[in-house]
Amino acid sequence: MPDTAPRTPVNRVDGRLKVTGGARYAADQLDDRPVHGYLLLSTVGRGSVRAMDVAAAERSPGVLAVFTPARPLRLLGRGNAFLIGHDWLPLQDAEVRYHGQVIGLVVAETFEQARDAAALVGVEYAARPPAASFPDGIARATDPGRVNGEPSVLSLLADGVGSIDEALATSAVTVSATYTQPIKHHNAMEPHATVAVWRDGDLTVYHGTQSASLTAGALATALGVEPARVRVVSPHVGGGFGNKIPTWAHPLLAAAAARELGRPVKVVLTREQTFTVTGHRSAVRQTVTLGAHRDGRLVAVRHEAYASQSSSGGTFEASPHTTSRYLYRSENIHLSQRIVTLDVPPPTWMRAPGQESGSFGLETALDELAAELGVDPVTLRMTNYATVYAGRGVPWSSKHLDECYRVGARRFGWSRREAAPRRVTDGEWLVGMGMATAAYPAERFAASVRVRFAADGRATVSSATADLGTGMWTVLAVLGAEALGLPLDRVRPELGDSTLAPNIGAFGSGATASTGPAVTAAAEAAKAELLRLAVTHERSPLYGADPAAVRYDGGRLVGPERRIGFAELLGALGLAGVEATGSAAPGPEAGRYAFTSFGAHFCEVRVNRFTGEPRVTRMTTVVDGGAIVNPKTARGQIVGGVIFGLGQALLEGSHVEPETGRIANANLADYLLPVNADVPPVDVHFLDFPDTLFNPMGARGIGELGTVGAAAAIGNAIYNATGRRVRDLPITLDKLL
Amino acid sequence: MRAFDFAVARTVPEALARGGAGTAYLAGGTTLVDLMKLEVLTPRHVVDINHLPLRGVHADRDGLHVGALERMSDVADHPLVAHPYPVISQALRASASPQLRNMASIGGNLLQRTRCGYYRDTATACNRRTPGSGCAAIGGENRGHAILGTSDACVAAHPSDLAVALVALDASVLLTGRAGTRELRLADLYRLPGETPHLEHDLRPGELIARVTVPPLDWARRSAYLKVRDRTSYEFALASAAVAVSLRGGLVRDVRVAVGGVGTRPWRLPAVEEALRGRAPRPEVVEAAAERAVAGARPLAHNAFKLTLLRRTITRALLSLTE
Repeated sequence: MPDTAPRTPVNRVDGRLKVTGGARYAADQLDDRPVHGYLLLSTVGRGSVRAMDVAAAERSPGVLAVFTPARPLRLLGRGNAFLIGHDWLPLQDAEVRYHGQVIGLVVAETFEQARDAAALVGVEYAARPPAASFPDGIARATDPGRVNGEPSVLSLLADGVGSIDEALATSAVTVSATYTQPIKHHNAMEPHATVAVWRDGDLTVYHGTQSASLTAGALATALGVEPARVRVVSPHVGGGFGNKIPTWAHPLLAAAAARELGRPVKVVLTREQTFTVTGHRSAVRQTVTLGAHRDGRLVAVRHEAYASQSSSGGTFEASPHTTSRYLYRSENIHLSQRIVTLDVPPPTWMRAPGQESGSFGLETALDELAAELGVDPVTLRMTNYATVYAGRGVPWSSKHLDECYRVGARRFGWSRREAAPRRVTDGEWLVGMGMATAAYPAERFAASVRVRFAADGRATVSSATADLGTGMWTVLAVLGAEALGLPLDRVRPELGDSTLAPNIGAFGSGATASTGPAVTAAAEAAKAELLRLAVTHERSPLYGADPAAVRYDGGRLVGPERRIGFAELLGALGLAGVEATGSAAPGPEAGRYAFTSFGAHFCEVRVNRFTGEPRVTRMTTVVDGGAIVNPKTARGQIVGGVIFGLGQALLEGSHVEPETGRIANANLADYLLPVNADVPPVDVHFLDFPDTLFNPMGARGIGELGTVGAAAAIGNAIYNATGRRVRDLPITLDKLL
Repeated sequence: MRAFDFAVARTVPEALARGGAGTAYLAGGTTLVDLMKLEVLTPRHVVDINHLPLRGVHADRDGLHVGALERMSDVADHPLVAHPYPVISQALRASASPQLRNMASIGGNLLQRTRCGYYRDTATACNRRTPGSGCAAIGGENRGHAILGTSDACVAAHPSDLAVALVALDASVLLTGRAGTRELRLADLYRLPGETPHLEHDLRPGELIARVTVPPLDWARRSAYLKVRDRTSYEFALASAAVAVSLRGGLVRDVRVAVGGVGTRPWRLPAVEEALRGRAPRPEVVEAAAERAVAGARPLAHNAFKLTLLRRTITRALLSLTE
């Protein structure tokens, strides 16, 4: 049975390693004394490499090889937007698809030697103008066909309604607005890095990844080796946000170069290189039109979006299908998604892919409707509270969004909000309040875990999942300790290795929800194996006891006459350990319920009345995420998600030059991420409603939820402060002057 | 980074003997090393000057004297600076990050290179970096660029906050070279880009900034530095204003106004000062004076908002001292 009492906050079990520098990330894996690879990137936006002069680079000190399209490393198969990130493999042809594409790899004894030699390579291009402007591309947008498993154009209309336009025409009140946002980059603190080591035909790759198993599979295919001979090691990942799901080009080249040169090879992307060698979030232009009765009941929701896509493939931002699809009850819902294919690097998943942009559109539109109707934004959301999933007719397994609004409004002091904008000042600052809803689907994947009782008295809980800074090390330890009835310090978690028990990894906010039930299953299987040994092994003190009369209790086996700790038992048996693997996967419940994590953001901003700077001064976020495994790391997840939304709202955007396709601000001085001084106190409160219809431990995901709606809450607060509705993100001061 | 040889100078004459074309002096290194990695700067010789005796903060009847190798963070916190010249402390504290301020020197700050993204990318055209190659910023990404003092060859904004405060205070620099020492108004050190943006200042080859002197100005106690930017910290200014006001009987007896983030060099605004002298600093008076700041400004595709922002920045800064 799940423990339904809220759990105690626990410090990260890997915290000491991290703050002392002991945690070894991919680029820290230097035991094999790797040589260093430096990527060469194209400096034109489209065309082909006509010639490369590598003579000076090859003569440069320490250089071992310069790989180019003319001297390629052999890679097999083809690109793949899901596994590799783009639909081509590096150096296999001379085509240049976008500015900043990989066109070479220089390998030298040191990083500096490789970098300096790379600067000596002369490249002659046959260049063509790239199509790099998203606004210009709107006119030739195309239909992606399907989005999130549904048609790209989806109408859910009430009986007798012929079209969404008809429903809008009969609405008493309508609001319609277009919202835009630029492409954005993940900018994980740890840049992408790989160390590739071959030993007797076996490949070990140290590589920061959200999925060691997917990376291993992609490498095995591209290098033409047996999957069993590829091991990917990734114990610590310094942030992923979706961008460390695809493998990208550099590990393929590192591994291929290591094989060719007979030396371990390390490749670390520079910050600038991460902007084009890896992924980003699509640019989005979306129009949300709401039709409502005078009392606020929605008659129609029409949500139409364009997202940028790459001519190299990739995963585009699907705004309507991830938000307006189900978030509010409306008699009629119409979604439309189109894509604008550009000569830019491929987009990929980025924290709350679809929801991040879609929630800005929908939640801002609701605020606009609330202002139009003169109703409170929370009231408007309660008026349109959905209890069944539109078009599927199924209820939510557990939904306490109403409680999020109620608790959030109380904690924040929402009742003090002035409904009319521009009413509150504090010195030279205009003060405003705004709110928005957060929602993110609860994902769950099949996962396996191995539990091993060891003779040293500790138990190992291991799975090939990943910790991106998310807290998975600690979650494994906490859940293992609960399942085994052991104190936390007697549980040894293991993850981030493709050879551990199968696990797809960390994405879709699903790692805890997927892995947790497998911990329980593995713990039960390991206990059963321990019991079996205890009663069947001749040297066991419980040998011959009735199995039904022996039970496992807190690390001990308790028989009718005596009890024995598992370490003592293993010692008596002369065994180093006993282990079992358990698996868990979603079952038939998936057809009967909708599973979603919910939340509500409340935000206060100040905008300078002279110079327009918007500053967030406090936020309250209330989360309905089911049972929370570790409130401490969970709070970190929500705060991090909110900061992600703050960046979306006020700061972040990658500036693609329309003429060249070059990203003009590909560095952390010019691509503005929030710094500590931008981040206000964030009051995070978890409702504790275990969702046992979703999984036995009742925990849904929360890794992306905090981002959803955060930007809209901020934008809505800015409107309340200033009376200005800025629909083009980021909301920078020039738009508020 | 290109190969270079490295020497540590122990005395000023030793440093000067090594100085000249092809040699870069290394103080805090926060600009130089960065730009060397990018191969924007490719000196053949680097001379570490951190051991030179160009230190110390002291005041006498000629004003405040700051050694060029003093670190930004130390100067910001120094009692001879923070109380009599708040505008200097505030400009320093609004600069960069604590880590950078702990490393960067005062002299280096005054000579730091522009943050124009094209200057920093050797694959693009930049007359400042590569004379005659063109200016990619004029038709490119130029939201952060200058609107004052620009030319068809260069529109890069001067990046220093400190220099804006010092220009407002009429500071001078003591330069030392093989031919001896000379004193120069800081405002005269910087050149407009014109047709030769690669010539950023009037330092002679091998010359060093030894010291910065701020003349006495007792009313600088009523001074402030306002830096406006998208992010609360760790970003260059979109617009900034260094202001000092002397009031008598409710009227502006004297005033200093210099601005940053908008000019190709730190930009003193005598016309704005003139419009305020002898007037009561009511909001409408200040606003009208600030209008004069943008005379002759040349906005680019992405930075026209700086016309308004600059006026409001000046107004806000002045009103913060007078209201």
